[in-house]
Amino acid sequence: MSEKPRIGIYICHCGLNIAGTVDVEELARYAASLPDVIVARDYVFMCSEPGQNLIKEDIKEKELNRIVIAACSPSMHEQTFRSVLESAGLNKYLLEMANIREHCSWIHSDRRKATEKAKEIVRMAASKARYLEPIEEKTFPTTRNVMILGGGVAGMRAAIELAEYGFEVYLVERKPILGGKSAVIGYISPGIRGKEIVQKMFERIRGNPRIHVFTQAELIELKGFAGNFTGKLRIHPKHVNERCNECGECEDACPIEISNEYDFSLSRRKAIYKPFPGSYPEGYIIDDRVCVKCGECVRACRRKAIDLDGEEKLIEIKFGALIIAVGYDPYRPSKGEFGYGLSDSVLTLFQLERLLDEDGPTRGEPIVRGKIPETIAFVQCVGSRSTTPSSRPYCSRMCCTSALTNAIRLKEKHPEIEIFFIYRDIMTYGSDEGLYEEAGKRMIKFIKYEGEPPQVQITPEGVFIEVTDYLLQESIRIPVDAVILSTGMIPPRDLGDVIAVTRATCGEEGFLREAHIKLAPVESPTRGIYIAGSVSGPKNIRESIISGSAAAAKAMALISRGEVVAEPMIAKVDEERCSGCGICISACPYNAISIEEKEGDRLARVEDALCMGCGTCASACPSGAMQQLGFKDIQIRAQISALSEVEGK
Amino acid sequence: MNREWTPRIVAFVCNWCTYAAADLAGTSRMQQPDSVRIVRLMCSGRADPQFVLEAIANGADGVIVAGCHPPSDCHYQEGNYRAFRRFMLLRRVLESMGVEKERFRLEWISASEARKWVEVVRSMTEDLKRLGPLRRDEEGIKVE
Repeated sequence: MSEKPRIGIYICHCGLNIAGTVDVEELARYAASLPDVIVARDYVFMCSEPGQNLIKEDIKEKELNRIVIAACSPSMHEQTFRSVLESAGLNKYLLEMANIREHCSWIHSDRRKATEKAKEIVRMAASKARYLEPIEEKTFPTTRNVMILGGGVAGMRAAIELAEYGFEVYLVERKPILGGKSAVIGYISPGIRGKEIVQKMFERIRGNPRIHVFTQAELIELKGFAGNFTGKLRIHPKHVNERCNECGECEDACPIEISNEYDFSLSRRKAIYKPFPGSYPEGYIIDDRVCVKCGECVRACRRKAIDLDGEEKLIEIKFGALIIAVGYDPYRPSKGEFGYGLSDSVLTLFQLERLLDEDGPTRGEPIVRGKIPETIAFVQCVGSRSTTPSSRPYCSRMCCTSALTNAIRLKEKHPEIEIFFIYRDIMTYGSDEGLYEEAGKRMIKFIKYEGEPPQVQITPEGVFIEVTDYLLQESIRIPVDAVILSTGMIPPRDLGDVIAVTRATCGEEGFLREAHIKLAPVESPTRGIYIAGSVSGPKNIRESIISGSAAAAKAMALISRGEVVAEPMIAKVDEERCSGCGICISACPYNAISIEEKEGDRLARVEDALCMGCGTCASACPSGAMQQLGFKDIQIRAQISALSEVEGK
Repeated sequence: MNREWTPRIVAFVCNWCTYAAADLAGTSRMQQPDSVRIVRLMCSGRADPQFVLEAIANGADGVIVAGCHPPSDCHYQEGNYRAFRRFMLLRRVLESMGVEKERFRLEWISASEARKWVEVVRSMTEDLKRLGPLRRDEEGIKVE
């Protein structure tokens, strides 16, 4: 900016918060002596209306073109004072805050020392202010629709919210049906069952023309930026068309039989199958991974609904926001872990859920090894809350509640079954705490242990569980007919593919990381990409649904205005200085920089909408060509050089 | 040495974690030595080695670069890693110039860690008081 700086410095007393420790009048006199300072004033509350008017009038009358506010932290009032500049006709980025409250008056008691420090802080800010430049805010038009990855409860909920608000939604599910795990594990929390919840959601999705469902589909490419994404979907062929009336004759004809993942391997299914009654989208499915294309089903089908020759399709979709809701995988114990895989008497909690489902492999009866067990032991925290290499340190939140709910259901159905509940701590948080009491009333026996986990012994005489009871301080050995391992949640196996395409990041435990756990939950660090459900960490059905709604609200806030304001303090290339070396490209966490040819020169180019304004590229640039607006080298260096005394004007 | 001498420390801190921690220390009225001058950057990844050298050239007795905890606190995904890599290199350069390693610190301080911020300010101030002012002679920066 060639215009000579005319700086106004405004020193706030903040009542006595600043003035009680810093000699604000002396500070104002000192500030007025700094180079290019036209006016320096102190006032009791700069953020008050009279305080703001003081600044506005000075800007107009004294033709100020840089403002320094010496007051509180910028996180407090930077926006307030930016608006003041704007309403006085000055670009709002010609403002520098000098934090003399949180970083000075509140942390020192010696008035002389605090005043001297405040002078330095103001001097540094004024020095930077001399080099401030106006920054223009750019806006980009948005595509007013949303893509959702994952058709479980969180993704479906988000889709319903968005569609009912009037936005087009592309609901993309990798599996052939919607519903996720909630569709097959009914009682992960008490009250309405998971399968009823998903059925209700199916009804709303079925009746809504704005929700476009893509099953057996995956996002294989993502380009663009918040408000303007383009995604490429790979859609696997369905092979069965809508003429299918689910008569089931194809299933009988199919010679291929494999373990049924929808029953967690408790039953078997054919290569052509229907996952469970009421699964959606309707109709039979061919599992291409195992189908040998023998054609038996085609011959059996009287409605000619089957075509084995379908090919996969690639389609491109434009959307403004992306919600990732790809869920979780149940933790699968390793072979031999608490006897898992060594005996059919050892089941996971997810398998028990299937046994207790009336549409499940045993029609709702808890049949283990051919009979209803007389004694069942639940083992809590399997693979969770432990630091052994195969385990995870976190709590999966839902297993205690789900295990107790199912233990109570077992007791309701078969009061004669003796149930032992072996645990370290019980985390039925919130209103689920009532389950613990209910379980006690139904004579479920709680055995607490600490340290050494229980041993499940598979012997020719039967299954035994040995554990040291914490209260008795004695080792006990119980013969049992069934052991239920309360396994928790782990990040889904295919999350790596999603991360590779979306550049979402995961935290230590492998779940997707939110931009900030409290300040920006359901937001990913990349603008325009949101996270819902258990993919960001274990959640129960209720919590997943809430996060689905929350992610939908965040997506709406982004796309509903029709345009997005880009981050203002972004990187900018000085083309005269750029040699096109590309070091900035490797420094950028957002892939926002590319090299392009321009009149024979190789030059770095910043995609404004992708740049988030960290400034890392500017530090990496060897020639000083890459600069961050608002934090240019010259601005920061001026701030630093003001450490040593500057001459008066 | 004059007991009243207070070292001057320049802290390059990121806006999201460490600046907020210093704010929280303020709102919690945690008393601290008056040695630190904060330069706010959006990310510790913006802490250009040149800034550190210039702070030293302009009278700083010590420099802190501070940002969000790795691996995942960084507001900009991985700017803190960039800061870390630059720090390791720069510290070697500074040591070869005779600047003791106590004079240049990299710290990870989250927005909630006001206490840690104060502890870093205190301990570094103590270290620098023990070392004394950073002497600059004509051949560059040398202590002894």
